[in-house]
Amino acid sequence: MTGELLQRVGGLLAEAGTIATIATIDEHGAPQSVPTPFLQLDEAGRLVHLELLETSSTHRNLLGSIWFDRPVSVTLSGRNDEVLVISGRVYKALVSGLRFSRFYRKVRSQLGDADLAAVWLIEPLKIHDETYQVRKAQEETFHPFYFHLDRLVIHRDSI
Amino acid sequence: MSYALLKRSLITDLDTVAARYPDVPRLIILKTDVQRRGVFYADAALELLDETLHQTTGTHIFGARDGKTAVRPESLLLRDGTSIITTPTPQEDDPYVVDVLDGDAWLFDNGTPVEPVDYWPAPAYYAKKSRSGVPMKHIVSARPQRLNIFPYRYCTFWNNAKGCAFCDIVVQLKKGRDLLNIPAKLDPVEVGEVIGEALKEQGRFSTIFLTSGSITSGERPFDDEVDYFIALLKEVGKNFRTHKYPSQMIGTAFEKEQLKRLYDKTGLTSYTSDLEVLDEGLFNRYCPGKREWIGYKEWKRRLVDAVDVFGYGRVNTGLVAGIELAGPHGFQSEDLALERTLSEAEDLARQGVSTVFIVWSPRPDTPLGKYKNASLDYYIRLARGLHQLRIKYRLPIDHDSYRNCGNHPDTDLSRILPLWESEL
Repeated sequence: MTGELLQRVGGLLAEAGTIATIATIDEHGAPQSVPTPFLQLDEAGRLVHLELLETSSTHRNLLGSIWFDRPVSVTLSGRNDEVLVISGRVYKALVSGLRFSRFYRKVRSQLGDADLAAVWLIEPLKIHDETYQVRKAQEETFHPFYFHLDRLVIHRDSI
Repeated sequence: MSYALLKRSLITDLDTVAARYPDVPRLIILKTDVQRRGVFYADAALELLDETLHQTTGTHIFGARDGKTAVRPESLLLRDGTSIITTPTPQEDDPYVVDVLDGDAWLFDNGTPVEPVDYWPAPAYYAKKSRSGVPMKHIVSARPQRLNIFPYRYCTFWNNAKGCAFCDIVVQLKKGRDLLNIPAKLDPVEVGEVIGEALKEQGRFSTIFLTSGSITSGERPFDDEVDYFIALLKEVGKNFRTHKYPSQMIGTAFEKEQLKRLYDKTGLTSYTSDLEVLDEGLFNRYCPGKREWIGYKEWKRRLVDAVDVFGYGRVNTGLVAGIELAGPHGFQSEDLALERTLSEAEDLARQGVSTVFIVWSPRPDTPLGKYKNASLDYYIRLARGLHQLRIKYRLPIDHDSYRNCGNHPDTDLSRILPLWESEL
């Protein structure tokens, strides 16, 4: 993981219009992906995911992740079609204290009568640039056997 | 060294035990072992302690394992939000050591760093005094998400020397009164006011908890205890816009009429009454006051009655796990103890009563204080067994969960109980 990619994560999260989703897996290995509208990067470079409900599937899956070392991933989709996928491990759940209370007030200031079950801190391990134009260029460079040939055909009528 | 690298490079005794129970989280096994062995705070760890930021010892109804009253962290939080409720323990008893690594507090086992820990954060109201000039933390104390009311720090079972054999409530009452000026009996109005002050802190507390020593007096035995609880809960309830509020009380096993009164007249939403040990012979031996006033079978029957009043999944009993193996009168093997305990717990579970346990901390100044508690394997097997009973009988334990209590390894496992409502 490079600092440059982490900076891009921070940049994307700072942009209005970026959509963030978090993907977790349950005890059977089934994946689940949900929006994470409050996602942010903290000063230590960890992703901060706010979980509002104690009994939500994501909250329970994140608990399973910290208990049994299951991976999680977060996808950021920017307005300019930029897509970053961050895979990581769950580092910590904050359930009490000044930092938790700050996030609690933030949630309630935006949603009204809402609650906050935990503030999950996720340590990024890898960041993949999944922006289509970037990945397309990489694939065409490094995997030139995966073209459909019609893309290379000379179109006579255009000559 | 990063945490991830550190974790990979060291193998502790804990990991060896954890490998035998791949279905039980290592963090919960660690919590259980820390509760079993206790903690010792190194000087550097005590230097991290800041009374304006962290809760310190001294407010609890029960004493420390080392018998001292000194300023130390009240307890610890693990990375998954699990509380470790433990007490300072003499170093010669082989406790975990809390020391500092890279500026942070860590649990160490035989010199090996095991896990980072946080000290419990101090709530805002801890800095304030009540109307009678007592520090508010001595009226209402806190856990990470719970407000504790210990309104009466005496137990009348001790009047004729029939207190429980593991309990140091009376010794602690004297220490609290002499060293910290903690009132022995709280004024309900003052309690209500302190609760109101505590609730000004947003995002801190999820439940109100109430327990005291037994009060045998009254027109019917324990009527005075019930009336006192009602007075307290009514004052607490004045802070809420709803009649009912998330709350738990550990009380004596009351008669059904007393339970109804308690439920109808207050905001109380759950009820716990501790049998302490699930074997009639050991109950009679170690809880002679409970035997004299109620008895084992009647205690169980009253717990079942309480389900009619408070609802399925809102009633439970607590065990001081380990005393069933202590000394010459205990079970001769952990297998036998486990079989007996889980069999009795199942009898309660099928009638809607859950069983939870705390890891017994042998305390000085108690008749059982000279014995050791059980093995880590025993506690893990007990936690698994009680959790499995909750699954089998579809018994929620939200009111005594990691958020609302934090002292039970078995209810930590139940953080991922099936969500039966999703089948509706």
